[in-house]
Amino acid sequence: MEIELTSEDLEFRQEVRDFLKGNAAKPGADYSQWRLDYFKNAAAKGGWDVPKWPVEFGGPGWSPTQHYIWEQETVTASLPWDMPFGIGMLAPILMNYGSKEQIDRFLPDIRERKVNWCQGYSEPGAGSDLASLKTKAVLSDDGTHYTVTGTKVWTTMAHMADWMFCLTRTDDTGIKQEGITFLLIPMKQDGIEVKPIITLGGAHSVNMVHLTDVKVPVENRIGEEGKGWTYAKGLLQHERTGLAGISRSIVALETLKRQAQSVPRGNGTLMDDPAFKSKVAELEIDLLAVEFTELRSLAAAASGDDPGPESSILKLKGTEIQQRIQKLTVEAGGIYSAAWGVPVGHKFARSGMQGYLGGRANTIYGGASEVQKDVIAKNVLGLKKS
Amino acid sequence: MNFDFSDEQQLLQQSVERFVNENYDLANRKKLADSPQGYSDDNWSKMADLGWLALPFDETDGGFGGNQIDTMIVMEQFGRGLVVEPYFANIVLGGGMLKRSSNQALRTDLLPGIITGDVQLTLAHAEEQARFDLDDVVTTAREDGEHHVLNGKKSMVPNAATATHIIVSARTGGGQQDKTGIALFLIDADDLDGNHFPTVDGGRASEISLDNVRVPTDRMIGDYDLLARTAQDAVLALCAEALGCMEVLYKSTVEYTQERVQFDHPLSDFQVVQHRMVDMFMEYEQCKSLLYRATLEAVQEAPTAVRTSHALKHLVGKSASFIGENAVQLHGGMGMTEELAIGHYFKRLLVIESQFGNTDYHLTQFAA
Repeated sequence: MEIELTSEDLEFRQEVRDFLKGNAAKPGADYSQWRLDYFKNAAAKGGWDVPKWPVEFGGPGWSPTQHYIWEQETVTASLPWDMPFGIGMLAPILMNYGSKEQIDRFLPDIRERKVNWCQGYSEPGAGSDLASLKTKAVLSDDGTHYTVTGTKVWTTMAHMADWMFCLTRTDDTGIKQEGITFLLIPMKQDGIEVKPIITLGGAHSVNMVHLTDVKVPVENRIGEEGKGWTYAKGLLQHERTGLAGISRSIVALETLKRQAQSVPRGNGTLMDDPAFKSKVAELEIDLLAVEFTELRSLAAAASGDDPGPESSILKLKGTEIQQRIQKLTVEAGGIYSAAWGVPVGHKFARSGMQGYLGGRANTIYGGASEVQKDVIAKNVLGLKKS
Repeated sequence: MNFDFSDEQQLLQQSVERFVNENYDLANRKKLADSPQGYSDDNWSKMADLGWLALPFDETDGGFGGNQIDTMIVMEQFGRGLVVEPYFANIVLGGGMLKRSSNQALRTDLLPGIITGDVQLTLAHAEEQARFDLDDVVTTAREDGEHHVLNGKKSMVPNAATATHIIVSARTGGGQQDKTGIALFLIDADDLDGNHFPTVDGGRASEISLDNVRVPTDRMIGDYDLLARTAQDAVLALCAEALGCMEVLYKSTVEYTQERVQFDHPLSDFQVVQHRMVDMFMEYEQCKSLLYRATLEAVQEAPTAVRTSHALKHLVGKSASFIGENAVQLHGGMGMTEELAIGHYFKRLLVIESQFGNTDYHLTQFAA
């Protein structure tokens, strides 16, 4: 048991800080240019543009401590926008299951952020029960291409994506986890229609995607036909641990405290209100614990062990904490949280309500909390269903 | 012991229920909420024709002599339909104040117009530093001959853009948090500057600034006690509305989970889902009981009535949050969309939580 940072770790932290400072956006600079420059410079540091990629694919090969330091330092820095779909989700699948041709064709563009990807998994009838998906892919008689027809839903950023990695059904005769095929589909073509879905916070980030007789060359298939579920399953675990957002919550709680201090209450501020203060303190205590749960999980992963039981609770605890912070922010906003789309009263109230409403999805996507608990009951506690 | 509504009250309930069923499908409601003034003049006239705007006023004032039970009946049905017409601002807040005001001349002057729907009132009491405290007032009213001159800012005033008159609380004396020295003035809306905007639930509110506004002193309608009495009625009305919202939310969830199939079963087959919905149902029933208790105590002017109304707003706040969040959760992704009614009920409950004291505020008041 040892958590002190070594002198090498401290040096690394300084290096990260220097890098982030040196590559911060300059006022008035062209955003797109800065974004590309940032990732180029990060790549030049030796894989800092793809911290989680393995060394053989150009990743930096950091220790768990270094990853932790990176997350701590970057959570408060203004990094250029980056979507997890290519870098974090498709890339590991390509590395593990893609052909050499596919890796050479897709990985460089993903790394350079040249191409935007979206994830075609959920369907109207397949949410938490993802394996029941029905989007059909039929291989042509000459074996050159698939014809894909079906509907995907909750597809984040589909309206900005160049490509979609998509789970399709090529066989519905066996158990539902079999007969699923993993295809890469260009978005800008006939037969693909993207319809926006406006969510509670008023935002447009998710979409419904209709695919009608979309032709996909067979070389866009990852691995074998019918094995797509095996490829996707490993990734879902990745996605789930990534959704805990512990460092972000630590920062968010500090922000909440500052906001509450700006709210007058009697002769003091809202942070002097015993009831409010207790709720903030409870969150702080949970964060102290879950931060170490994440570290234990990281350390286990680094030593090559299977993720321990502790990692299964990260998504559940992490998203629950996010929602509690969002709810307290709305509470801090008081009467002004009810105003919509205009800055009225306390300045943070407007984004507070938007965050709270949008954040209700956190315990739904990537496996609803109820399903996560089923998985833990079965896989970790070894329980059987009645 | 009897919790049945009288024949007249049953007729009222059926009449409001019918109005909601006929006029308030989600598409219609959205259209109204998105329109410039946020509600329908036609609906407002209908409410006047049906006598609902006259409900709580004394028969000698041209009203029907109804009490908080009648208002509860109307508001609960409005909650079921997410009705956007400014009944709460006009009849519960403005009307409630006028009805109890000792200013006989103003009552005679304004009540007929309120009953026909031509005069529209609202209440401007909230201030930024006050949070939920009614007695924390820094807006000033300085006496100047036959007038008072008002200066200050009022926040989150419901439906002020369409009001003809706005009742404003202001300080004529005393310290910032004293109950004494607070007076209520009825001011022509034309004399006030407002910044008008929508609320999360599709309603309307305004920030009002008072910059040397001269109000004839005979437009003073009451003091802190009148404000507190009205706030108590406001809590009852909002909680009745919330009860209607909660009923729709838990029932829609029970319905939806029986239709939605995942893992080869309707969601409602899963015990965790069943128990969650049982909890939602229990919360709803508890709120209903406490609403009845608080409303009856208010009608009887029981010494415990105020304290019970604090208990009510606390319980409703907690339950509304539980029921709303779980309705969204159990609807999954669909619950997150603007397309389904669920989200709209949830948002209405969030706004109710911010009005006339939140869950914590009323717990503190209850425990005090």
